[in-house]
Amino acid sequence: MSAVTAHKDPKLPPPVALPEDASWVGALKLFDAHAAETLVAAARTLYPHDGLPERIYRRTVFHFDAMAAKAPVAAQSFAEFVDLVDGALPLKFAELSEGYRVQVLKGIEQSAAFRLVQRSTVRFLYDDVEVWQAFGYEGASVHLGGYVNRGFNDLDWLPDPPPGV
Amino acid sequence: MTTYAFDDEGVVVIIGSGAGGGTLANELAQRGVGVVVLEAGKHLTADDFVNDEWGGYEMLSWLDKRTSSGNWRVAKDHPLNPSWSCQVVGGTTTHWSACCYRFIADELRAKTVYGDIPGASLIDWPITLDELDPYYDLAEAKMGVTRTNGLPGLPANNNFKVMYAGAKALGLNVSTGRHAINSIPYDGRPATIQDGFTITGDKTGSRWSTLNVELPRGLATGKLELRPQSRAVFIEHDAAGKASGVVYVDGAGVTYRQKARAVVLAGNCVESSRLLLHSKSARFPDGLANGYGHVGRHYLRHLIQTVWSTFDKPVHMHRGEIMGGMIDDFVRHDPARGFAGGYYIEMNSMGLPTTAAFMDPGWWGRDFASVIEQYSKMAGIFMSGEDMPQPDNRITLTDELDAYGVPVANIHYDDHPNDLKLRSHGYKVLTSIHKAAGAKRSVEAPAYPASHNLGSNRMAGRAEDGVLDGNGRAWEVPNLFIADGSNFATGGACNPTLTIVALAIRQAGFMAGQMAAGEL
Repeated sequence: MSAVTAHKDPKLPPPVALPEDASWVGALKLFDAHAAETLVAAARTLYPHDGLPERIYRRTVFHFDAMAAKAPVAAQSFAEFVDLVDGALPLKFAELSEGYRVQVLKGIEQSAAFRLVQRSTVRFLYDDVEVWQAFGYEGASVHLGGYVNRGFNDLDWLPDPPPGV
Repeated sequence: MTTYAFDDEGVVVIIGSGAGGGTLANELAQRGVGVVVLEAGKHLTADDFVNDEWGGYEMLSWLDKRTSSGNWRVAKDHPLNPSWSCQVVGGTTTHWSACCYRFIADELRAKTVYGDIPGASLIDWPITLDELDPYYDLAEAKMGVTRTNGLPGLPANNNFKVMYAGAKALGLNVSTGRHAINSIPYDGRPATIQDGFTITGDKTGSRWSTLNVELPRGLATGKLELRPQSRAVFIEHDAAGKASGVVYVDGAGVTYRQKARAVVLAGNCVESSRLLLHSKSARFPDGLANGYGHVGRHYLRHLIQTVWSTFDKPVHMHRGEIMGGMIDDFVRHDPARGFAGGYYIEMNSMGLPTTAAFMDPGWWGRDFASVIEQYSKMAGIFMSGEDMPQPDNRITLTDELDAYGVPVANIHYDDHPNDLKLRSHGYKVLTSIHKAAGAKRSVEAPAYPASHNLGSNRMAGRAEDGVLDGNGRAWEVPNLFIADGSNFATGGACNPTLTIVALAIRQAGFMAGQMAAGEL
């Protein structure tokens, strides 16, 4: 999708490496497998990027789990969310088709639990360096000398403004 | 570093080390005045800062709880973070994007020029542009503002090329604008390397801040003591009704009392009003300097909004200084537009994390996904416009106490009809600029947490109209001053920092003069 290379600030930790199979839930502190997979399904339904691999959505839920482990109020909200989306229709949320998942989420948009899950998905999904790479955001730059010699003015499909404008 | 005794009654105590407090501290120290700066945040350096939007936000921001009410969109989107300032040595100058524009003469006479507007509590400033201009000159020189003092403007970046093409097609007056960011080396600081992370601390020092310019110079005089992690919780007064000291709590939770010759609040709008309202006594039962009830009222936050547009081809808006573009065609008050006041158009870029977070909080689903996936082909354009002061747009104290025993602040803000008209006009113009450059789709992003917090301890020509006189001195407490944007009489349209700095330089001269005359 893009020819750029994304960089996290070298002072920050690299993305957590999770197993690529169902055993990834073993890395979680608090969520059980059902809660975790339900939240992954919710994150993907909220922000459906078909080109992004499952591991990115799992890493997002890994951050939810860390939030929940730190704050009992957050843990309770995530649990409420899972109950709400599972209880809305005769099938559990993770087993629903996308259209039904959207219907369920629209039905609980006003709840605090939905707000926490929706905002937290934005917070962590779009902060993932693999998403940056996919969507063309290069990220940290000072350690590479900024963008002054790396394309800060390389747009070539519009005329260049006159010097000094 | 020089240290002063807690019972030293000869020092000026300044609460806050940002644009107002940090500048005033240096200016007073240069004049030989002893100063203690109490800063709630830590003393971080360029090495501590990160090139990371959320990492920087969490490192620098004032994250203590606040609440919000009113019909403004922020109360819905960011109910517990309605205002955005920093808690760190250097204050919000560690975060700012360095746009430096001056008020125009009409904005300082808003009541006279705009006339009677129902619901608005407009006043004229007690000072004129002619009085302020010499201090703007001094501020621009010390900050190294581009396109002043022979300094070249910032070079055009990708996002600016889009803005320029659209603006020119519409016949607008567009340039890269004026910034306290070095386009060439100046004052011992390097030229920008276009890293695009001015908002997370500026690791290279190419941008002016009080952290990298004012405070080190003040400290070098031997007259300034900087106390980081020192949270002011109460301002005391003596039997004569003069401010006598500040109670504060350090990082270890120990409470101290610093005596003072004069006290200056410079903790950003919300904190300064909160502290005055909290500092009640038998003599000042509604809070310090609040005899006419104006403390916390007439709160302004500017009409801030962004349009994000997608194009057919790559833009890479994240590369380079983030706000290097300006259009000034809509700054002047023009009744023919159907609203009072005006607005600056400026360039805006954000990284993917905050573009996603602020484009339209609450928006989810395939439509949002299809827009944000176009990030690399996205351009941003922004406006800062004048909002109408209203007495009930205000900072108040809630019943909830924070960890220091000080009531949590609530910010109430209702949009004035004039605000809506100006916003709507602005969105149309911003979108038309991008359309003229070839935009496929434009998204009107709402305001994010307020970073231009103004007016809640305003100066006025008469004591009954405000909290402060034209020197930022409390009408009711002759040795109490305010040096942050809460002292603005009205908001104007431009980014406020240059004016905060100019007012602080002017205030330093006034205070030093009063001291020399034995009156302070």
